[in-house]
Amino acid sequence: MRIYAIAVFLFLYVPIGIIVLFSFNAGRHASELRGLSVQWYGKALSNPFVADAFFTSLTVAFSVAVLSSLMGTAAALALQRLKGTMRVLFDGLIYISVMVPGIVIGIATLVALVTVFDFLNPILASLWPEGATPPKLHMGYASVIAAHTLFTMSLVIILVRARIAGMDRALIEASMDLYATPWRTFYQVTLPQIYPAILAGFLLSFTFSFDDFIISFFVAGANTTLPIYIFSSIRRGVTPEVNAIGSMVLAVSLVLLLTAQFLLRQRARR
Amino acid sequence: MSADKGTNRWLTAALLAPTSMWFLVMLIFPLIVILVFSFGERAAVGGYAAGFTLEQYANLPSRLKAFQNTMIIAPAGTLLCLLVAYPLAYYLALRVRSRYKLLLLVLVIVPFWTSLLVRTYAWIFILGGRGIPALLEWVGIEGVRLINTPGAVLIGIVYGYLPLMVFPIFVSLEKLDKSLLEASSDLGASPLKTFLQVTLPLSMPGIATGCMLVFILLMGEFLIPAFLGGGKVFFIGNALVDLFLQSRNWPFGAAVSVTLVVIMLITVSLYMRLMMRGKTGRDESLM
Repeated sequence: MRIYAIAVFLFLYVPIGIIVLFSFNAGRHASELRGLSVQWYGKALSNPFVADAFFTSLTVAFSVAVLSSLMGTAAALALQRLKGTMRVLFDGLIYISVMVPGIVIGIATLVALVTVFDFLNPILASLWPEGATPPKLHMGYASVIAAHTLFTMSLVIILVRARIAGMDRALIEASMDLYATPWRTFYQVTLPQIYPAILAGFLLSFTFSFDDFIISFFVAGANTTLPIYIFSSIRRGVTPEVNAIGSMVLAVSLVLLLTAQFLLRQRARR
Repeated sequence: MSADKGTNRWLTAALLAPTSMWFLVMLIFPLIVILVFSFGERAAVGGYAAGFTLEQYANLPSRLKAFQNTMIIAPAGTLLCLLVAYPLAYYLALRVRSRYKLLLLVLVIVPFWTSLLVRTYAWIFILGGRGIPALLEWVGIEGVRLINTPGAVLIGIVYGYLPLMVFPIFVSLEKLDKSLLEASSDLGASPLKTFLQVTLPLSMPGIATGCMLVFILLMGEFLIPAFLGGGKVFFIGNALVDLFLQSRNWPFGAAVSVTLVVIMLITVSLYMRLMMRGKTGRDESLM
């Protein structure tokens, strides 16, 4: 039994280890290990396309994380007061947004937004004063951020709601009885209790957005995120540089995940 | 007091406003557009022309291979995942000392939250010509081809989705009342009989949840077949990418998407019905 468990853990981690090992390859071929060096990291980091994609991914992931933790927390707080049809409706929407496959979300968003933009752009152009270039709506940062946020927002709602359910209601009542304003009660009593869940939601949202390929692939327009860059490089062939970029992507999400896990554990200990 | 209630209602509405907007613009509206497009016609230059026709749905059999592959490999992959995951979940839930339990569980889940793209890419490396086949050649077994086969896709699936299967099974086994196991063995049941008659039935909710989660994600899978199936083993997801980004046949692509979602909805509702029948009043959550 124990041997089996060890075998499964090896199965889970050896491939990751291989990618990291080969990213330190000193040789020029991806599959022959010839000594160790960090040259491919240097190469990857000085490649302007990689730097650009990395920056795009960070910007998108950060915006997604901020938006979804704010909106998700607000919604989770409101949902606990909601009853009846509205509650069922929201629960259904949260459920659907988590369950519909990313590829369908990506396609539907692409098709819907492109159609709306094709409809709006001529109108905008006709409204704009003669001579000035009218703004042209197109797929880009905003569409990726909006599409990722749909999923991560629901994720934050689920996490924060679970925390609210486990919260001590007596504290809130005590605070009200002691004549604290609702805002003060929220700030001094509710928020400290739910903030580990919000922070964990923030980090998971960041990780999801940073790692997502399929949604970005459809809705990123001319922008290239890091997963899209890796995907198209792999199509051109496996190189040690891709291994180095892949290792960096893994490192970013590992650091964030361990932070999230640490926060959730602290939450559990309280 | 009533003024207070009024403010409360406004506050609730204000807090929910951004989320509602998002659901409306980014979920409901796009899904309606896809549904409408699936009854439309293809414009001469690609894209969409308005119309009402069932032509796109009648044309579905032209992508039969993608549907067949998905409907065979996705359930097979789910089953394989279950077979690999169950013993591990069992070990973690019932055999490991509680001090290490959380750590080991975290170690199982962490890969799931790292890039599936990079993790699947690792297998191109391992299964490709200079990976395992080269090793086998070295020990004298020649001509083994692993990549671009259904087997490679299955390995990728188990690798990618194992954590998602382990977690719910672990939760249901962990909750299991250990005294039931003792009672069973005290009454003279063999370990195998205890497992089959007590442990397995009680972990059914976890098994069902894990299978449903993995199956649903597999139905929309694109990356694993794209990397490890090499154009030979392709899923509905691969057909969709082709239809929307290469051949720009939007109405037909829309019809394929709608069909995919409908198949998923049917699966989920069947699962729900099965679960409702299986248990009464016991609560099993997904997370």
